[in-house]
Amino acid sequence: MHKFLFQLAVFTYLLATAGFLVHIITLKKGVEKTATAFLAAGFCLHTASVVMRWIAAGHPPMVNLHESLSLFSWATVAAYLAFQWRLRVKALGAFVTPIATVIMAASSMQQKDILPLTPALKSIWLPIHASICLMADAVLLMAFCLAGMYLMQERQIKGKKLGAVFKRLPSLQTLDAMSGLCLKIGFPLLTLGIVTGSIWAEQAWGSYWSWDPKETWSLITWFVYAALLHQRLAVGWQGRRTAIMTIIGFIVLIFTFLGVSLLLPGAHTYSTWHE
Amino acid sequence: MKKSSNENPLWRFITSIKLAVFLLITLAITSIVGTLIPQGESLQSYLEHYGPTLFKIIRALHLNDMYHSWWYVSILGFFTLNLICCSIKRLPFTLALYRKDNLNIDPDKLFRMPFKARWEISSGLDDAKKEAIVKAFSKNAGGITGKRSLSDGTLYLSEKGKWSHWGLYGLHASIIIILIGAIIGIFYGFKGQVMLMEGGITNQAIDPQTGKPIPLGFSLKCNSFNISFYDNGAPKEYRSDLTVIDQGKEVLHKAIRVNSPMSYKGITIYQAYYQAVPRVTLKITTSNGHQKTFSLPTFKKINWPEAALSFGVLQYLPNVHGVPAARVWIDNGAGPAQAIWILKNRAREIKMGPNFYKFLLIDAQERYMTGLQIKKDPGVWVVWLGCTSLIIGFIIVFWVPHRKMWLWIGKNDGKDIVVVSGQSSKNRIQFEKDFRRIKQVLEQHVGERL
Repeated sequence: MHKFLFQLAVFTYLLATAGFLVHIITLKKGVEKTATAFLAAGFCLHTASVVMRWIAAGHPPMVNLHESLSLFSWATVAAYLAFQWRLRVKALGAFVTPIATVIMAASSMQQKDILPLTPALKSIWLPIHASICLMADAVLLMAFCLAGMYLMQERQIKGKKLGAVFKRLPSLQTLDAMSGLCLKIGFPLLTLGIVTGSIWAEQAWGSYWSWDPKETWSLITWFVYAALLHQRLAVGWQGRRTAIMTIIGFIVLIFTFLGVSLLLPGAHTYSTWHE
Repeated sequence: MKKSSNENPLWRFITSIKLAVFLLITLAITSIVGTLIPQGESLQSYLEHYGPTLFKIIRALHLNDMYHSWWYVSILGFFTLNLICCSIKRLPFTLALYRKDNLNIDPDKLFRMPFKARWEISSGLDDAKKEAIVKAFSKNAGGITGKRSLSDGTLYLSEKGKWSHWGLYGLHASIIIILIGAIIGIFYGFKGQVMLMEGGITNQAIDPQTGKPIPLGFSLKCNSFNISFYDNGAPKEYRSDLTVIDQGKEVLHKAIRVNSPMSYKGITIYQAYYQAVPRVTLKITTSNGHQKTFSLPTFKKINWPEAALSFGVLQYLPNVHGVPAARVWIDNGAGPAQAIWILKNRAREIKMGPNFYKFLLIDAQERYMTGLQIKKDPGVWVVWLGCTSLIIGFIIVFWVPHRKMWLWIGKNDGKDIVVVSGQSSKNRIQFEKDFRRIKQVLEQHVGERL
């Protein structure tokens, strides 16, 4: 059942993506509302799928790559819907929704079987730590999208081609402020993710910090975002340079999330079991 | 922040935000190295894997343990110094901001604030109306914190979150608290390992780096060790049933699992790993008239002087063609030592020098040894304190604004005027909404449009 709901969610997200893309091209007002409705419907299906999978597995579905990517996509849609509910930033959906859909597609290509939980993962900190980290990733993904939109808009203005793209994107000031807002939510969440991971490591392995590649990369990410926030808040950087750094920060973040486990030697195996 | 030209250049350098950003980026980039080169392996393995040239670099820069190397710790130290100095430099500005009496303001300046509204009441204001306006202001702005009567009117102030200027210091101090916690752990704590057979007892742990014993101050006994598996063969649970014996008394009895350690007298005991230890029963018959049955663990050299024989089990496999098998090493001083495989219940005879030896593997059993991680870290609570204040610090620095709202009821050119204005140190969007609401409410009370 959860697999069926998952596929249905993927399909609905695809429709929402199509809707947002049609909207950004045609600028027809009703289309954006329909696309948002599809996204919200997909989100409900996705939520149901996660809940069903949780019940079927008997443990939080945050263990393998399929589940992590699925929840990353879920968190991204949740963050987007919450963000747009309070602050309406135009055209954002056309950037965030396709990315959420691609993550979902990547998730659907992974091995989907429910595997039993290894001893190291049997902890209340699994759902706490994983969900906080995924929320941080999702909010910082939005900062990344807004920074990308900023650079696109800036190119329009600098090139004095105030044409189709210029009309469709929000103002530079809005994009910069919204990206900063996402950083102010995402960075504390990232910190909380690292802290809860440390508490868990202390309980499971007897060491809150052991310079394991995953831990180290999370700290590297933290350093990059900390540098960025100092540039923004203390030095008063704005605009282009902070947008570029926001994008770099997100690339490092994604490497921490996915790259470390897939590429680096002896990475976070989620267990120190020497067998 | 103002720049004074007569500042010491060294002080200016060490207190600059540019340096902070530079150090953060430096830490980010250098930290990558230790994730590409495996940390804490034997020196020999680095030489084999990287070759002599790279090995020299690894040795010189301590890249085999870079996060504890002099240069990495120096960057961290320099970063901490920069952080402390930046805070010291900023302190007078914050103090001035904190001490500033926001009621001591010229009402004319209120209209230069980022958010403001002004009404001129042509029909005049009576005391009841004034009171109603003040009441509405107080209710919607979150209470009046100050009031000042001037010759031509009264100024009311509603101020909130003045203390939030200190959040930044709390945030930065949290990082230093975490580092202090880590240092306490390094100097007053230890990490050790214990391997215990079922039924085994010990009063010391082994330092994994130096191999030296660390006394625990009590004894630890392993009553039993259990592994359970899922249907697919994956491990489900590792459980050690432990008893703590302090001064001859059994004081604590607990089963520990991964993610569920136990603590006694500040020392925490974690389930870390396990090892299967086979015990092999061998019957040896020699051609010069000796016969004896031995029960021995793997890797233990046994001397049998009567038969002038030394032997030991090198390897044990629980299942070879359906039966257990052991690889036995034999030396009788005549010629080179030999290693042979013997299967359970199938006698095997070999000739060494003038004698024949017959080996029979009678029985083999696998017993488990539990691997415990022993840790004492009095600094860990300091680290948690630092982490907690770090998170609270973020919330204050990013989300708790210092907001000020003024209400001026006075006279201008003989007319009654009402001015409301406001300022918020952060979260402008929310403040804008709040201010708009107050403006609407006051408008109703004033009874006139701007």
